[in-house]
Amino acid sequence: MHKTALGAALLLAGVLAAPSLALADTSLSAAGSTALLPLVKEAAAQYQQAHGDVKIAVAGGGSGTGINQVAAKAVDIGNSDILAKDHPELVDHRVAVVGFAVIVNSSAGVKNLTKKQLQDIFSGKVTNWKDVGGSAGKITTINRPRNSGTRAVFTKTIMGDVAISAEGLTEDATGSVVSTVGTTPGSISYAAFSGTRNKPGIAELAIDGVTPTDGNVVTGKYPLWSYEHMYTNGPSNAATSRFIAFVTSNRSTVHKLGYILVRDMKVSETDR
Amino acid sequence: MALAQNIGKAGAARAHRHEFVAKMILRSAAGFVIVAIAALIAYLASEGTKLFTHDHVSPLTFLFSPNFNPDAGAPGSLVFIVGSLAITLFAIVVGGPFGIAVGIFMSELAPRRVVDAMKPAIEVLVGIPSIVYGWLGLTLLVPFIRNATGSNGFGLLAAGIVLSVMILPTIITLSEDALRVQPIALREGSLALGATRWQTIWRVLLPAAASGLSVAVILGIARAIGETMAVQLVIGNAGVLPKGLLSATAALPTEIVMDMSGAQQGSLLEHALFSMALLLLLIAMALILAVRIALRKRT
Amino acid sequence: MGDVTITRARGARTAADRVRLRRFVDRLATSLLWSSAIAVLLILAFFVGYIFYLGAGTLSWQFLVSPPSEVTAGGGIGPEIYNSFYILVLTLFFTVPVATAAGIYLEEYAEPGLFRTIVQFSAESLATVPSIVMGLFGLLIFVYLLGWKFSAIGGALTLTLLNLPALMRVTQEAIAGVPATYREASMALGATKWQTIVRAVLPSAIGPLTTGIVLIAGRIFGETAALIYTAGVSVSAGKAAYDLNPFRSAETLAVHVWYTHAESVVPDVARIGNGSALVLLLMVLIFNVTARLLGRFLTIRFTGKA
Repeated sequence: MHKTALGAALLLAGVLAAPSLALADTSLSAAGSTALLPLVKEAAAQYQQAHGDVKIAVAGGGSGTGINQVAAKAVDIGNSDILAKDHPELVDHRVAVVGFAVIVNSSAGVKNLTKKQLQDIFSGKVTNWKDVGGSAGKITTINRPRNSGTRAVFTKTIMGDVAISAEGLTEDATGSVVSTVGTTPGSISYAAFSGTRNKPGIAELAIDGVTPTDGNVVTGKYPLWSYEHMYTNGPSNAATSRFIAFVTSNRSTVHKLGYILVRDMKVSETDR
Repeated sequence: MALAQNIGKAGAARAHRHEFVAKMILRSAAGFVIVAIAALIAYLASEGTKLFTHDHVSPLTFLFSPNFNPDAGAPGSLVFIVGSLAITLFAIVVGGPFGIAVGIFMSELAPRRVVDAMKPAIEVLVGIPSIVYGWLGLTLLVPFIRNATGSNGFGLLAAGIVLSVMILPTIITLSEDALRVQPIALREGSLALGATRWQTIWRVLLPAAASGLSVAVILGIARAIGETMAVQLVIGNAGVLPKGLLSATAALPTEIVMDMSGAQQGSLLEHALFSMALLLLLIAMALILAVRIALRKRT
Repeated sequence: MGDVTITRARGARTAADRVRLRRFVDRLATSLLWSSAIAVLLILAFFVGYIFYLGAGTLSWQFLVSPPSEVTAGGGIGPEIYNSFYILVLTLFFTVPVATAAGIYLEEYAEPGLFRTIVQFSAESLATVPSIVMGLFGLLIFVYLLGWKFSAIGGALTLTLLNLPALMRVTQEAIAGVPATYREASMALGATKWQTIVRAVLPSAIGPLTTGIVLIAGRIFGETAALIYTAGVSVSAGKAAYDLNPFRSAETLAVHVWYTHAESVVPDVARIGNGSALVLLLMVLIFNVTARLLGRFLTIRFTGKA
């Protein structure tokens, strides 16, 4: 019995001592915005190939999650579509710009909606596609949860003071919004270009006649876009800085995944 | 070897010491369970009441206001409470009688070999992870309801059906046990008086096993009300009171899993979510008390 | 004929009628009970068949060993499978000693009284705590309070709390099934209580105990809600995904199904979900079969009884 107890104690000690050993490698973690997720994931994969001693774990969760977790030091980098207003200790790194498209299930039969029509649909005033020039059919709105930066950008840019109706569905993140819109007839939602490009079953809508393209975002004609932020808790250390710089360094990857470099923007805007 | 050791006073003393140490270790393991639940209650009670003590929200507002908009200072959670109760009720109304029927079958009708075949099947039903039930609901049930009714498929009905299946193993196993422990004499007496098998079950066995059966139902409720993943995938997560079986709504656990990760520490939203968790814990403990009361009646 | 029926219905029913009605009801009930049992088996068979149908196309060696992808199609579930087993082993490492010890105490030592009642009540309460609530508890204790971030060990300890009561129960039942004569014989030979438990009681209870542990292991393998906020939703890249460090974030297979649907932007969500669901189901089946075979083998080995 003594031997077993000793063995168990040793094992426990080993388990508890492990984190100090793990520090020998550089490990980074990031979580947050699912609009920014594809870029960070892809950059992390490329970065780790080039630097074998660095380990990077990247997760989604939503912008609110990213800000929360970096503020609680649960991760090194918090990704967000929106500013972390309540956290003066967090340091902002703008890494890209991303546009957001209003998307509908292909069955809706509309190509363009005005800002007013979008307000009517998401506030629950208009409930049938035929009232906004589509084919007759019930409208199902799909929203993102409260912590979503995408929702915050949509609310600020499109809804203004009009409240989003609680009717309709809520989906966790960019990915599930896009796949649910693709499979649910009559549904409408909004998601980052990085998630909506080339997805089956959906159509991206023009807003007030302006199509959701990178070109229209760069010139400021298309209204629905936002800066993407990577937050660190306090000034970032060398390893984190190098990775954040790497995220924005590869123009072709940034473009391929549906983002725009901050320096390419012809307009600037105060953050939302 | 035990004998050899125990011969002689030194050996006896050592054995006695071992005995004492062993007993203390075992006792502290049992005590750990008390510590665990006490810590859980203390933590949830402190986090879950901040909504009332720190944000000065009335518990009545939390429980009975359908307006959940924490950013605007409104933490009313009626929608989630009603959603949880509705899907749990649905699950019990559909899955309860069904499960009890199977329990009766296994205890009273089934030949030995059929029982032996069904036991592992029910174990598998228990073992299927709830996320897989949810995945089936999402890929099979939601499109089916959508095509059959013209709604978008998500909602109370989908969540209720998924839960009805998920509580079956609990109800089957416990109701079978409740019936099986009834004395043979009860059955023989009834049959000897000329009752049919069904009359024996209906008039004699079911009333005799009532407390055990109610335990089965209560634990089925406990299983249903806390279920998170399977429900979250199919209920639609709409923050509105359900208007009917087909409307999308939300439940306490699904709201917690949706919004907790993004809730700022110390915010009204976080406090409200912890209050919901506390409410779930209180419901769970109340159900356990109900089980205790039901079982005490039996003796 | 109509007249006859009406007269009969109005008048007192004959004894023969009543017997016939009772027999009919009895037969009806019997067939309903049989069909409800068959329905359960059909539901299960349908589930299993449907999951196989959905996932069979995805299941390949490549899928089982590849790392997941967050953006492009073609991701696998290799690290997730590893993490599921890793967290399972860690969880059992903590759960089994504590739960069996507590179970032995309650069954062999504890006198009926306040302590015993409180332990039982605590265990029952712990068993009904919804797993999402336990997950939040783990989030506060392990992630925030102890500062472990999202970690395999935080997830495992949360699952330990969740499964402790079930394993205690299994232990109690296994020990209760050992005939009193074994204990009496051992004590009569001069063995102490502890020696009796270790050398007589546990070996004869080892069969059912193992069956119970493996069945619970199957449930731990599929747990989701308690892990999202404790073990996290990400895996390390490359070889680091397979290391033994318990303080790294460890997304399990069950969590991956949720995460892929909810959070990721890969185009082949359905393929990954279907494949993972099939792997989870296969694991449940394997755990169930193993539980029975191992339990039977150990019973024969340690007691010589079939």
